[in-house]
Formats: sequence, C-alpha cells, structure tokens
Amino acid sequence: MSLVSGPGRGMASLPAETRLYVDKHVSYIQSLDTRKDELEYWLTEHLRLNGLYWGMTALHLLGHPEALPRDGILKFVFSCLHESGGFGAAPGHDAHMLYTCSAVQIIATLDAFDKLEAHMEHGRRKVGQWIASLQDPETGTFAGDEWGEKDTRFIFNAFLSLSLLGLLDLVNVDKAVQHINSCVNFDGAYGTSPGAESHSGQVYTCVGALTIADRLDLVNQERLGAWLSERQLKNGGLNGRPEKTEDVCYSWWVMSSLAMINKLHWIDGEKLTAFILGCQDPDLGGLSDRPGDMVDVFHTHFGIAGLSLLKYPGLAEVDPV
Amino acid sequence: MASHGITRAAGTAVRTEEARQQQLRDVDAYKELVDLVSTKVTERQYTLEVIGLLTKLLKQNPEYYTVWNHRRRVLNALFPSDPADESSKHGVNDLLQNDLQLTFALLRQYPKCYWIWNHRNWLLETAESQQGAEVGRQLWSGELLLVNKMLGADSRNFHAWGYRRFVTAQIERLTTFTEGEAPRSLIEAEFEYTSSMIRSNLSNFSAWHHRSKIIPRLLNERDANTDARRALLDSELALICEAINTDPFDQSIWFYHQYLMSTLSPNCPSKDRIVLNLNNGDRQRYYENEMQYIREILGDEEDCKWIYEGLLFLAGAYLEVDGGTKVFTTADMRSWLEQLKRLDPLRKGRWDDLGQCLNL
Repeated sequence: MSLVSGPGRGMASLPAETRLYVDKHVSYIQSLDTRKDELEYWLTEHLRLNGLYWGMTALHLLGHPEALPRDGILKFVFSCLHESGGFGAAPGHDAHMLYTCSAVQIIATLDAFDKLEAHMEHGRRKVGQWIASLQDPETGTFAGDEWGEKDTRFIFNAFLSLSLLGLLDLVNVDKAVQHINSCVNFDGAYGTSPGAESHSGQVYTCVGALTIADRLDLVNQERLGAWLSERQLKNGGLNGRPEKTEDVCYSWWVMSSLAMINKLHWIDGEKLTAFILGCQDPDLGGLSDRPGDMVDVFHTHFGIAGLSLLKYPGLAEVDPV
Repeated sequence: MASHGITRAAGTAVRTEEARQQQLRDVDAYKELVDLVSTKVTERQYTLEVIGLLTKLLKQNPEYYTVWNHRRRVLNALFPSDPADESSKHGVNDLLQNDLQLTFALLRQYPKCYWIWNHRNWLLETAESQQGAEVGRQLWSGELLLVNKMLGADSRNFHAWGYRRFVTAQIERLTTFTEGEAPRSLIEAEFEYTSSMIRSNLSNFSAWHHRSKIIPRLLNERDANTDARRALLDSELALICEAINTDPFDQSIWFYHQYLMSTLSPNCPSKDRIVLNLNNGDRQRYYENEMQYIREILGDEEDCKWIYEGLLFLAGAYLEVDGGTKVFTTADMRSWLEQLKRLDPLRKGRWDDLGQCLNL
C-alpha cells in the first residue's frame, strides 16, 4: 500500500450534506499501489506494511473487504517476515515492532494464522518470541527493535500482537503495567516515558495496553476523561495536546481512549462527525488531516475508524483497542 | 509520515509530460541508490565510501529507518576494537563529528522524525563508551545547545522536550562521577529555563508540564523546610493567577492551576507534594483563596467556561475536606454548572455526569 499523498484533497468547507463517499474511498485505496511512477511512492516504502493495514482495515470498515485480494495481501506480508520472527516495513527492510504489530493485525483480521504456520515452521510462536525478546527485564518496558529505542507505544504493540497471537504469557505483563503506571501525569493522561508530557497518541497506547491487561482500575478515569474531552475544539475536531490544532488522526486516538473508559459521550459526536466528513475528497476519495489538505491512507483509515466509533450508519463496528 | 498540514492546489494539478519524465528519472535515480546501498551493505563493504552513500540516501529520505541501522552497522565496524588505542582516536572523532553534523542538519529540517533523534542518541552513547566519561560529559553538555535551538524553533516539540530530560540526566550522571567535585544538579537551571519559556509564551503547556515535574525534586535538593515549601507554592499560585488574569481562555494555564491544586489533595502521593504536611484547615484556606480570586475574575469574564469549571473543581475538592462552614452554597454550584452547560455544549455529557456526581 502506498503512502503517497493526494492526488485529491479534503474539502475546503463543510458540505451541505453529511454523507460518506464510500465508493470513492474504496477506489482511492485500491488505486494506491498503482502509483509507482511517483517518487513519493518510493520515499514512503518504510511505511508500506502499516499502509496496507490502514487501507485494508478501512476497506473492512467500509464493508468492502474483498476490494483488496486476500492472497496478494498475505503474500506481501510474509515477504516482510525475517527468520528472527520480526517483520520489516517492506521486503529488505529491517524487523521492527511497529511493522510486526501491523503484520499480526493483518493476519488476525484475515484469520490466516494457519498460513503463517505454513509459511514458517512454528511461525506464530517465533513471532511471539521475537516480540518477547524486546522486553527489558529490569523496567518491563519494550524496545522497538535491536537498537533499543523505548517508548510506551511499543508496550502496546507488544500486548496487542501477543494477545492476538494468544501468547501474552511469554512476557512479564505486571512489570510492563507498572512501567505504564510510572508514565501517568497529574492530568490522568500518559506520556512516552516517565516524566514526559501527556499526549493523546500515547494515551491510546497506554490505555489500550491496560485494557488488554485488564488493569483499567489503575486509570484515573474522571481526570483522564476530562483531559481527553478538552481535546475537542469549537470546529468539532480533536487535537493531541492542549492548545494544539485539530487533526483527523486524533479522532481515533482520543475517541478510542474515551470509549475504553466509557466516556465517549463526553464529547460532541455530531460535530466531530461533520468535521471528519468535511475532510473527505468527494471527487477522488480519501480523507486528509483537516479540511482542504492533501488526503492519504493514514488519515483515511483513522477518519473512517473514528466514524465507526461514532456509529456512522453503514460502517462495520470497530473495537476501540 | 503522512501528509500533515500540507495544503495544496498543486497536488490536484495535472502533471505536464516534461514533469512526468523528470519524476521518472528521479524515481530511477533514487531506486538505483537504494539498490547500490543495500548491495554494498549485504556484501559487508563497511567503508567510508558507503558512509557517503548512506548520507546521500538519508538526506533524501531520513524516515528510511533501515538505512539508519545500516549506518550504525558500518560505523560500528569502522570504530577500533580497542577504544584505548590512541592512534585511532582521531578517526573516531571525525566519524562522530560527521554524524553529529548530519543529524543536526536533518533535525532542523525534520524536527519530528523519530529515527534522527534515535540516531543522535545512539551517537552520544557510543561516543561516551568509545572516548570516555570526560569527552562524554562535554558532548552531552553540548546537546543542551541543540535542544535549545530546537525548542526555539518549536517550543512544543515533544521529541525535543523528551531529549532535554534525557540529556540533563546524562550530564548529571557524569558530573556526579567526576572526582573531587560535589554532585552538580541542573535542576535549578531547568527551573529557570521553564520560567523563561513561560515568560515568552504563557500558552506553552510543555513548559508548564516540565515545571510540574521539576518542582518536587527542586524542593528536595534545596532541602526546603515547610516555610520554604509554602513560599514556593504561594509564588507558583501568584504566577498562575496572574496568567489566568492575562488570558482566562487558555487551557494550558488552567491545567497548571489544576496541577497545583492536585498537589494539595490528601490523595496526592507524598513524592509529588509541594507542601508535605498540610492539614484539612490549610487545604480549605487554599481552596477558599483560589475561589475568591477566580470569582473576582468572573466579574470581567462571565463567558469564560474555564472559570466555572475551576470553581466547580475547587468546590468538589473543598467538599472532600469540608470542616462544616462553606464559602459557597449548593445554589452557587448549580448556577456554575448551568453556565458550563450554556457555554460549553460540546461537553454536555460530561457536565451532566458532573452534576450527578456532585448531587446537583
């Protein structure tokens, strides 16, 4: 899947009618892999596997899972798998947690763990062990790869992948949970590491990991809900931190976090729906970060997933984790 | 990553045939370079020539994380196996300086690219292990200049703030181990840094956040007694109240106010407290003072929802430590809640829940 932006762009003003251009988005996503004559297609190769996950998931939510060929998807995913059990972004790219998580999500969505076993002996277990090998036994946190960058994002990637693989018992869940708990701030929200500023994306990964670990009791849900609800701006869009601008991708990170703590009703869903729909390109399909900007598959996915959480009619229901 | 904040008309414009041909040539040149680099790395040609090719590729695409990994593989091979070997020090230094310059230039251009920050971090750690603690300390100290530049360009860049916390921790670690010197802390300097950042922009929540993390440690290192702790709390309250008065619509300011109030709570862990031994009478007095101040501002700004939210927050906190007498009535609380619903319909569900929670 290509991460190439455009060619369309979101609308400059809100449409009179609030409709989702399902067919346009489907053909937009289908067209992404045909743009190999553009330099940006190659410059975004390091996101290919994520892009495939975003595009495929958007198609599933739009009710068109058949729009990308299952065999073709799996063939590409397995071409990114290393002997070690980790996945890279594309063939020839090094293994990293970010892509391994996307790969496991794709395989789980397509119910294809048997294909993984067929492709690599004990493949499921090997992938699980590769992820487990990145946990720091001292602090409980996870590195992204062999080079050791640590971030609360990777705990979530690890928990999500391992729970889909049915292999959470390979890691020390309690230690990782303690680490997440050390990243909480007075506002009830979370940062990348102990002492770091609260950030909506990080909130999603931390609350998601705690949800998987069944430890939402550790979350100050009133405080966090209040902070998250203040991410909504007058135009209906959501931002990532206080006094920053809105962006469609936060529709997912903020809303899914609110959903996990049962506080989705603390923001105005109708206004947010209108904001997301206003980011569509009604002619060529796709969604952008905010009205008038270039569309891409990342924002297309997070916008549609956001609409699904808002129960937009006709969309498949998405799991907030 | 994806296209954030890129407005364009050009994207929808039809490319001319000439532009299309040029793009195809660019694609070919780029793919050729990628192929060349991966062939050389696969063949373990860990040479200065390959470093040059990697530089060329990374300048074109700093998000290509595998290429950063290749670069570290090549550098590791070029470093001498014995760091104590004096004759090799010069070469190592050249390699490190080269990469410090490359990452600096790229960070200025791509300040939010994780992989550049990661490589920079690796460079500093590697330099310290290759060249020893004293060189390491000098290099880490130099990083503060980089961070200041980055935060000067974007005062909310969370990569830069995170790196700042990491860098100061490394400088302190290395200073502590310098013989004959008392451990030197950067905490006072960091506190002063947040003051200057806030002075230049009250809305910078990253700076307020940093300050909230510094204060408990600052007080411990000052060995502050109760009077000194109360004095600091009072001066922080004075600072934030002045900020509220300047711009009562800025949520960064209100969140810092909430932070200060959270340190008063009996539920606040002792390591996060400003004044350690507050009793409920003290707490009430603080809450009363804040309420009084905020009600004064209300006179000028009756359409600012943060004021009512602040008052209700304080009322809730007050009720938790209530000694009997009240400086506000249930009717007051009800009217503040009504104002919130009027001024902030986006969060209506939250205000409904709050009303239930406070029995209003």
